[in-house]
Amino acid sequence: MIYIRLEPEGRTMHFPRLGTVLQLLRKLGLGNNAALIIRDGELLTPDRRLHAGDEVVVRTVTSRG
Amino acid sequence: MKCRKCKAVAAVALPSHNTAFCPDCYPVFVRSQVERAIHRHKMIAPGDRVLVAVSGGKDSLALTLLLHELGHDVHGLHVDLDIPNSSTDARAACEGFFAKLGLPLTVIELRREGLAIPLVKSRIKRPICSVCGKLKRYYFNKFALENDYPVLATGHNLDDEVSRLFANTIRWDHAYLSDQGPLLPAESGFARKIKPMYRLTEFEIANFSFLRGIDHVIAGCPYSGKASFPIYKGLWSGLEERMPGAKVQFYENFLREGRPVFAAWSDQQGQLPTPCTECGYPTSAERCGVCRIKAMVADDEK
Ligand code: SF4
Ligand SMILES: [Zn+2]
Ligand SMILES: [Zn+2]
Repeated sequence: MIYIRLEPEGRTMHFPRLGTVLQLLRKLGLGNNAALIIRDGELLTPDRRLHAGDEVVVRTVTSRG
Repeated sequence: MKCRKCKAVAAVALPSHNTAFCPDCYPVFVRSQVERAIHRHKMIAPGDRVLVAVSGGKDSLALTLLLHELGHDVHGLHVDLDIPNSSTDARAACEGFFAKLGLPLTVIELRREGLAIPLVKSRIKRPICSVCGKLKRYYFNKFALENDYPVLATGHNLDDEVSRLFANTIRWDHAYLSDQGPLLPAESGFARKIKPMYRLTEFEIANFSFLRGIDHVIAGCPYSGKASFPIYKGLWSGLEERMPGAKVQFYENFLREGRPVFAAWSDQQGQLPTPCTECGYPTSAERCGVCRIKAMVADDEK
């Protein structure tokens, strides 16, 4: 299982399996530059592989007024 | 993906630049983009004291850090809007950040001016964001004027600039099209205004802020719901996804080809502002917009 936390909403979800960050972005309906993808404090580019047990933060980038 | 500079594993991929960087090389790339913008548009002269407008969001705090690291003399100005569940955190983020860097920060409290945003919102019929923006600009300009800052810097990024340009273009608003850009020269009593991050996207700045550990506010303003800019930003990110580089092209081509035409046209229509009879702020009416809002809010109070 791969565990996802969406920020800033704070919602969580999980996927049984995902190949890459790109696949995660597509599943969430996000473009490549719509969010920071963070695993263990490290930023991941879309080509990086995700593994079972990963905890991933998806932080969408939109600025306030 | 590998870092373009050192071949380590990349942390940030940038399709619009057709490149990628590792956590160590990426901030250097961002700094060089800002340095180049400042240089190319002659934004800051040697010895200029730079007043930076800070909201507590990632853009303005990143700008503060970058200007400081590039060796500029930085002073922060934050306007406390007094909005519940928002302004306290925003102000604390600014104060914490400036204290950490050991840089001076001034806070202007709208409540003390009789202009707390929730109060103003309850008194006016216009959308609050246009008035809120007007008030912020007023106090930034006024502070720069009264304290002799030659330059006022804001954290506007490429996405802000493109969505604003797009909104102005949809309306063919020639007045706005004539003077939108990363540099507005000082004139009629206003300080020079600069946007040193105008070539960086929101995504690029978010990555920088994360990698540099900038503690900024994430939650938005509770009143931000109805603005039209988010719609344009959404459209443009879809376009950029399919045509990497579209944003920067649209904007840079406007600066080169479009703006001069609108500017020449508006010079013929020009009307020079005069000082507001109440506060001295440059205005095209007798009494400036903010003094009128103040009077309206105070009248209702009675
Ligand atoms: S969203 Fe509107 S009301 Fe809130 S801070 Fe921005 S301009 Fe002001
Ligand atoms: Zn590197
Ligand atoms: Zn006035």
